Order: sequence, then structure tokens, then C-alpha cells
Amino acid sequence: MQTKQPRRPGELVFNLAMVLGSLFLLWSAYGISGFEALSAPGAVPLVTTAVMVVCGGLILRDTLRKSATTAEKLERDILPLPVIVTILAILAYALALKPLGFLPTSFLFLTGLIGYLRGGSLLRAAIQSLLIVALIYLVFRIVFTVLMPPGIVPEAEIIAWVKSLFAGGGT
Amino acid sequence: MEIIQNLLIPVLDLQLLSLIALGTFAGIYVGAIPGLSVTMAVSILISFTFSWDVYPALALMIGIYMGGVYGGSRTAILLNIPGAPAAIATALDGYPMAQKGLAGEAIGVVTVVSFIGGFIGILALAIFAPLLADFAIRFQPRDYFLLGVLGILLVGSLSGESLVKGIFAGALGVGLGSVGMDPLTFTERFTFGTDGLRAGVSFVAVMIGMFGISEGLMQLHTLNSPVIKQKIGRIVPSWPLVRKHLPLGMQTSSIGTVIGALPGTGGDIAALIAYDHATRVTKNPEVPFGKGAVEGLVAPETANNAAVSGAFIPMLTLGIPGDAVTAIMIGALFIHGLNPGPMLMVDQPDMFWFIVSSLALANCFMLIFGLTGIRAFVKIVEMPRAVLLPVILLLSVVGAYAVSNSLTDVYWMLGFGVFGYFMKLYGYPLGPVILGVILSRLLDDNWRRAIISDQESLWMLLKGTLMSPLSAVLFFSVVLIFVSKTPLWGMIFRKRAA
Repeated sequence: MQTKQPRRPGELVFNLAMVLGSLFLLWSAYGISGFEALSAPGAVPLVTTAVMVVCGGLILRDTLRKSATTAEKLERDILPLPVIVTILAILAYALALKPLGFLPTSFLFLTGLIGYLRGGSLLRAAIQSLLIVALIYLVFRIVFTVLMPPGIVPEAEIIAWVKSLFAGGGT
Repeated sequence: MEIIQNLLIPVLDLQLLSLIALGTFAGIYVGAIPGLSVTMAVSILISFTFSWDVYPALALMIGIYMGGVYGGSRTAILLNIPGAPAAIATALDGYPMAQKGLAGEAIGVVTVVSFIGGFIGILALAIFAPLLADFAIRFQPRDYFLLGVLGILLVGSLSGESLVKGIFAGALGVGLGSVGMDPLTFTERFTFGTDGLRAGVSFVAVMIGMFGISEGLMQLHTLNSPVIKQKIGRIVPSWPLVRKHLPLGMQTSSIGTVIGALPGTGGDIAALIAYDHATRVTKNPEVPFGKGAVEGLVAPETANNAAVSGAFIPMLTLGIPGDAVTAIMIGALFIHGLNPGPMLMVDQPDMFWFIVSSLALANCFMLIFGLTGIRAFVKIVEMPRAVLLPVILLLSVVGAYAVSNSLTDVYWMLGFGVFGYFMKLYGYPLGPVILGVILSRLLDDNWRRAIISDQESLWMLLKGTLMSPLSAVLFFSVVLIFVSKTPLWGMIFRKRAA
């Protein structure tokens, strides 16, 4: 019997991966303390992973029952280019955050991503990014005092210089 | 006297008052802008406020929560896009009203009734939570265990397309929550011999990934959807109009409070049930439901705002979150060294009354901000998503980094973000994952306590459960949820209906 809703592209692979992942976790949970006791540290992990295996199996069975004919396409409806580009951009941002620092990395990330997603002028994206980064920096670094990696920007010196300006103005 | 003193904490402290106002104001925008969610905002906020004192951190989060649930209705009315799941029912009649040029009136009605609903919810929280906490002190470990299971099952069964996927997601969350060293025996669990996993997976990284990154990636699918512009007329509703719908509003506020107080259910479910209630009790609406009936706005909006305070009842008295946002707030309280549950009311009653008072203030600010600045609001909501989404993603990365100044958390966040994105695409609900992570410790500890006290005997545990009225009710509720989703149940009820 086939259910009405067709199978989405990649759904079978994902659900199969869930079952295999759950089986691996079940095996790993068994390794914690085996069937030593109902109050053993591995008891709850063993039950939760067993539940995952059973549910994963049922989900996979339902997926197999679905019709494979669908108008959806993997590259359009599941993993369109903007999603891939965005994931890679976040990864690149995370990698560059420490060596380059928060300010330049955030500016480049926003300019690149806004420019790509919105299209049009890169200059406009750069101006928008500059304003947004300045606002985020002001709110989170100065007001909330959240520590961000300074990287290549001599942030401490800049903050000290700004503070000295205000201190000078106050006297 | 002590209660009044505690209630006055946020009222007399200008910083706390400002944070509640700021949070409510920001929450209205967060809730209203499609692509931003209250859950996402609160989860990102934890990472920025974890070094603060608990009062200011909570004040800001409560403001965002209260404002956000209300804010979702704005875009539901103006754009037919509910800014939050709790506003889905509001769009059914709100948007038809806007199409008739009554957007201002619809927003005005929604603001006033949200205030009424919010107020009734807060009143219920103040009255019933202390009573429940007194009762909850007598709860046995098995009751907590069953409550935790019930919460995950309820979220799983109501928030996704299938109960099985909900249970899978909940079990995954419990599994994630047990990664690291077992606190009782110091046995390693799911660490695979790596040092990085001994301290467990960062709860904040999981949360930001699942609610910030995955939601951001999902929004990329609808990046170019056109923005519908609306004209705004009269905003403040007339008193006769409010008075006319007050009885319905009182009924649906009560529904909202009760639904919100059930572990695992939130404003979205409360709003839908209240809408259904309104369609049944309103015999002759001036305008039919679905075509711009005012009753169709009153019911869901009173209910979803009442549910906000309702959700705090199980959170503060039992340590069980009422919905995803209160699950995150429990995380925030843990981070601040507090332990929500019946003993919180005994050990730190100031915290409870502070929350009640903050909710009441946020409700008042919601009324003020709700009835002002709507024309400016319309402009901001029209901000292109291509600009908004990169900012959300940037804040998510910075938020995950800020927790422990570690890039490892950023990679976890990204991993969970991508994983959560695929889960959403294939119909797995994410709420139970977070609830599972939060409740993992409670489930594990109470299961072990319960089974040890019953001498490691499943039979004795079952016997004890069936002998205690509370345990029995909880046990049969869990069983009922399971059975109600089986094909057999469907067959029986179809036959009866036929």
C-alpha cells in the first residue's frame, strides 16, 4: 500500500542514515555497562537508542511505502545552491573568525552573503554590512561586553583610545 | 509582605524595567518578522547573557517571549504570513480583515485581547503555581520520570507530522543530553574516547544550531517571496467592540492557560484549540469565520498570550518545560545555577514572584508598544530577507562562540544546524530534540532513583505506579498517547463515526 504523499528526494537516504546511526549508537550504549542493572549508567542510553532504532525502522518502512515519483528535485527543493553556499560561508566564517578577528570576518561574511543572496550592487551590500557590523559590535561588544576574537584588528588599543577620548573630554 | 517586595523588584529597578521594555519591544519585531522566531532569539540570547546576573537575563528573555508571541500576529494580519506558529490561527481571519482595509482595527483588537489573555494567564500562574508546587513536593521519582516522558511525547505528537518521528526526535535529544561523564558513577557515555565529548555536547550549541541555523537555511527556500503592502487605518478598538467579545476572550484565555500549562504544549496548539472553540460557541458571527470574523482574532490571541504564563507553571513547579521557549529558559536557569522545580518555590520564592511581576510588566509594555508605531513597523517588516538572514546566521555563530570562546561550539552548532535543516525537510519536529536534551538528566536521575527504590524490580515499579493515583494517571496518559496514534484506535473511531 502506498501513502498519498510522495517521497522527497534524499528522504530514503536520510532515513536509512538515521537507522544506521541509531544502530551504531545502540551498540555504543550497550558498551557503557551492558545489561548490568536497570539502574546502571547505560540503562537510559540503551533504552533511548533502542527507541531510536525501532522508530527509525518504522519511519524507514513508511518511507519505502511512499511513491518514489515526485516533481521535486534534490538540487532545487532540498539542497538548492543558496543553501550550499550559505553553509560553506558559515564554515568559512568560523574558520577565519580567530585568525582574522570578528570585525573583518563579519564584514566580509555579510558583504559576500548579502551580495550573493540579494544580487545587485556589491557596494550597496558592503555599506549595509558595514552598518550592521558596527551596530552588532556596539551592542554585543561594548554594551553586552561579549568577548570576540580581535584577530588582526588592534581592538584593545582602539577601545582604549576611544575611552581616552571620552576621559579627555570629561576633564 | 515578602511577596509584594519580590513583586516590586523589577518595578523599582530602572535597569530591569528597561530590559523588560526593551525585550518586549524587540520581541514584537522578532515575533513579527518571518524568519525570526522567539525560540531562535531566546536561544541566541542565552549565549550573550550567561555572564549577567540572573534577574537582568530573565527580564530580557521574558520580554522577548511575551512580545514575540504577540508580534507573530502582526505579519499574520498584514502579510498572511504568521510570524510565529502561535499566530497561524490569527491569519485565518486577520488577513481577510486587512484585505478589506481593516488592518489597523485588526491589529488594535489583537493587541487589546492579547493583553487581556496575557493578564489572565499571569493571574493563573500566580494563583495555581504555588499550589501545584506544594503538591509537587510529594511527587515520587517515578512521577517525575513519567512527567518527562509525557512532555516529550506530547511535543512529539503535536508538533510534527507523525508521533513516531516525534518520539525519534525526543529519544535523540535524551541521547544527546547523556553524552559525557555520568554524574553519578563517572562512567563515560557516548564519548568514543575523545576528550572533547567528556564534558558533554554544549546545550547552547545544539539549540542555536537547531533553531537559528536550520531555520535560517529553511528560509532560503522562500527568499524571493513577494512582500504584500497594507494600508493602516484606525488602530485603538472601540470599547463596545472589546466589551462585546470579552466573554469569549475570558473562555479562550482559560483554554490558553490550561493548554499552555500542559507539559510540552504551547501557544500554537492553544490558539488552534481556542479558534475551534470560538467557531463552535459563536452562533451568529457578524462576518463568517475565515472571512474576517473578529471572534477569529479574539480566540487565538487571548489563548496564545495566556499560554505564555501557563507554560511557566510546569516549568517553575515541576522543572518540566511547557514549550520550546521555556525549555530554553530552563537551560538559562541551569546556567545561572538555579534548579527549577518544586524546591525553587521553597528556596527562592523571590525568583518566582520576580518572573510573575516581569510577565505582568511585559504584558503592559506589549499593550503600549502594540498600539503605537505600527506604521513604522510595517516598513521594518518589509526588510528584505536576503539582508536579514545573513545577520541571523552571523548572530548565531557569534552566539555559539561567545558561550565558552571556543570554535568547537561553533562547529557543533553548524553540524546541528545542517542536521536540523534535513530533519525539518523530512518532517522531523525539532522541539522534542531540545526538550529531550533538557529533560535528559531529569529522566535519567529519576529513573535510577525509582528503580533503585523498587529494588531493581520492574514488577515492583509497575505495581507502585498503579497503586499511586498520580503515577497511575501519568502512566495511563503516556499509554493513551501511544494507543491513540495506533491504526487500531483509528479503526475503532472510524467505525463509531460511521
